[in-house]
Amino acid sequence: MFFFAVRRILASVLVLLVSSFLVFTLCAASFDPLAKYYNLNPRPPESFFTNLREQLGLNDNFFLRYWHWLSGAVTGDFGETINGTPVADQLFGRILVTGRMIVAAVVIAVILAIVVGVIGAVRQHRPSDYLFTFLVYVLIALPTFWFAALLKEFVAGGVNDLFGAQVLFTIGEETPGLSLYASGWELWSDRLGHLVLPTVSLALLSFAAWSRFQRSAMLDVLGSDYMRLARAKGLTYRRTVVRHGLRNALIPLTTVVALGIGTLFGGAVITETVFVWHGMGEYLLSNGIGENDINVVLGWLLVSAVFVVLFNLMADLLYAVLDPRIRLA
Amino acid sequence: MKLSKRSAAVLAAGVAGAMTLSACGGSDDGGGGGSESGGSGQVVFGESTDFPENLFPLISAGNATSTANIEAQLFPQTFEVQPDFTVKWNEELLTEEPVSEVTGDTQTVTYKLNPDAVWSDGEPITADDFDVAWRMQRSSDPANGGCPELLSTSGYEQITAVEGTDEGKTVTVTYSPPFADWQASFTGNNSPLFPAHVVDAPTQEELCAKVAAGWPIADGIPSDISGGPWQLKKENIDVGGQIAVLTPNENFWGEKPKVARLVFQNIGNDPTTAVQGLSRGELNMIYPQPQLDLVDQVADLAPNVESEISFGLSFEHLDFNSQDPHLADVNVRKAFALALDRQQVVDQTVGQFSSDAEVLNNHIWKTNQPEYEDNAPAEYNAANPEQAKQLLQQSGYTLGQDGVFTHPQRGRLAIQIDTTANNPLRQTTIEVMIPQLKAAGIEGTFNANTDIFNGPDKPTSLIAGGFQAAVFAWVGNPFVSAQPPIYQSPQGDAVGQNYARVGTPEIDALFAELIRTTERERQVEITNQIDVLLWDLMPTLPLYQKPTFIAYSSNIDGVVDNPTQAGPLWNASTWTVE
Repeated sequence: MFFFAVRRILASVLVLLVSSFLVFTLCAASFDPLAKYYNLNPRPPESFFTNLREQLGLNDNFFLRYWHWLSGAVTGDFGETINGTPVADQLFGRILVTGRMIVAAVVIAVILAIVVGVIGAVRQHRPSDYLFTFLVYVLIALPTFWFAALLKEFVAGGVNDLFGAQVLFTIGEETPGLSLYASGWELWSDRLGHLVLPTVSLALLSFAAWSRFQRSAMLDVLGSDYMRLARAKGLTYRRTVVRHGLRNALIPLTTVVALGIGTLFGGAVITETVFVWHGMGEYLLSNGIGENDINVVLGWLLVSAVFVVLFNLMADLLYAVLDPRIRLA
Repeated sequence: MKLSKRSAAVLAAGVAGAMTLSACGGSDDGGGGGSESGGSGQVVFGESTDFPENLFPLISAGNATSTANIEAQLFPQTFEVQPDFTVKWNEELLTEEPVSEVTGDTQTVTYKLNPDAVWSDGEPITADDFDVAWRMQRSSDPANGGCPELLSTSGYEQITAVEGTDEGKTVTVTYSPPFADWQASFTGNNSPLFPAHVVDAPTQEELCAKVAAGWPIADGIPSDISGGPWQLKKENIDVGGQIAVLTPNENFWGEKPKVARLVFQNIGNDPTTAVQGLSRGELNMIYPQPQLDLVDQVADLAPNVESEISFGLSFEHLDFNSQDPHLADVNVRKAFALALDRQQVVDQTVGQFSSDAEVLNNHIWKTNQPEYEDNAPAEYNAANPEQAKQLLQQSGYTLGQDGVFTHPQRGRLAIQIDTTANNPLRQTTIEVMIPQLKAAGIEGTFNANTDIFNGPDKPTSLIAGGFQAAVFAWVGNPFVSAQPPIYQSPQGDAVGQNYARVGTPEIDALFAELIRTTERERQVEITNQIDVLLWDLMPTLPLYQKPTFIAYSSNIDGVVDNPTQAGPLWNASTWTVE
């Protein structure tokens, strides 16, 4: 098991190295961080451009630039943005922001996916199955930005009207400036009020696809011989479904969820934008690509890739827990 | 699976409980803040541009709209640009209007500072603060003791001395040669006065090092210093949450703000987010790029939300590259302009926002500036395809069978019009032009050019000159010294910002006079003379000004949009919240 994990980690490092080089190449070829200054009127003096080019290392050889970045990144120094802010400072804060948004969402989504998937499989072709199938497909078909906008418009509006006060919020992690003059319960309840809608939005949209995986995995398992055997041994139906069926049927979902979490850490881009959470997704889009900032893009890439690799590894380890046959010597 | 079932139940209960708790908590929270934020006297401004990374406005890192908005009332300025585009001296900072005198090749400007004017730490505002602003910005050449990080040295490079008398409360600034825009020195969110006792350094190198580092947002403004009605304290900056809160400067000598807090919350540029935030009361004011559905949605929020469209100083225009074989011929440039019905272009673009939208008929001044004169010859006021065809025929073009003119040497009259990618307004502008051009026998095509604003190493950029015609914007201002680089004749490879690459000695001579002329009346005369000449040379064709859009909760009193670089928060200290 240990060697298996080590082998996987080594392979991942290679993947990270290659992907960072490819992304570096693409960014170096297409980004011009000086572009926005050429058309300032009046244009900044020539010494401004010379200085900035020098400072950002744009005059250096391509491979040298990559080496500078890589040798820094290995020691945890992700360089600075074009405006001189250390990238590492931003990255770690933003992982926490994204993390806060997705943790509850993933837990809710997994529970819902299992429950709905199992019910759908056990009661295949019954009204409840059709109802869930219909709802789930509606959710899958809804674009994230629209679903989020609907939540803000109707759920936030409805709940707030019901209580006659601002209970659910649609922007940011907390009422801006609240931490300056409030503390304790008032602050935490305000943060919860901000957390609900993004969580619900992410949870429902992630759960929808996951529940289909769970349903089909469960259907496969339900028709298998060992299930019939378990029933023949005299086990109750409930016990066979939960202990023998569900446990086996969880394996495919584990993969999907693990990959899903890894990707979500890279940025639930749309959800973050719509609810104005300054997390990883926003960092890539507006600070990285929007500002033509190569260090930001690479920093983002490295951290998100690490999360994808990490959760994949966890999925592999979980297989072994769920299915003793997979355990390696 | 017993364990996971149990833990799942616990988790489910926890989440459900958290939601219930948040609901209860939220309800008693609503009384103190949220939609009733007016009661606690704060205004939440939804900033749609990127959160600042640096608060020092003279360098690229601090050159952001968000920084300018935050600092609109933090550092004192000698003159202030008003919403009507006029320039007014700062009656809180100064005791009388500054006087400018020119003798020979020297100009002296005298400022009389208010004896009560102090920085937030109690230090008086004196000539030293003018002096340090000058020493920071007088040169960008390191060989000359300058700071290469500076975005601009305009005006400051012409200052030869800054002297203080009356304990520094009378400041005499000497320029040589005279500077036309002397009112722009020590003015504007991006070049105000700086506190010498905080920013100065013993040597010029150390001063430049301080300029280069600027004020990173995480460290705030050094000593939390302010010389205006508001103050930004370091503890009130939340970098992760992208929130900055201004509070009144207790030591401000003038009229103090009437609102307890001015909160900047970065909300990104998603229009739905802005509108929903405004309608839920989470935001009290937004200043986004106007888009049609955004404007309509905000209009539906009346009477709780007021909104206003203004036409600002940013204007779209068409640039003709005179290095193109066709467009090198002034007749072709004029025929192009004659073919266009600019009123229709306006109606299909900015005219959709407001019936006040007008065709812009001056290269230098905007329709709502007091200096504006409509200098466009009458034939450009409507589509004039016949006259366009005559001009083309004069230049040796013949109408081909496909209805497009061709020239024996230059070939078919097909002009590609470049513009920025992903800009619907500009794309519509060009799409409206194409059939108009067709009627005059000119084939126009649209091209989204992602390299348009890039540097000289990208062949299709404006600077490199690899384009035929281009639609993009310049930002005007009440001053004149930014104009010469756009219209002066290029000197060899040094095109400046004259991407049309054409000029005349007559225009150059007028500009040379303009940048040394300090009287406003004469400046206006010269600029309008230049504009008349530009219509005859036709290097560029002005189209229309771009709208700005402000929307705010109707319980805020005193909001007046300032569609210049001063921005919407220029008078935030005078607002009241009911």
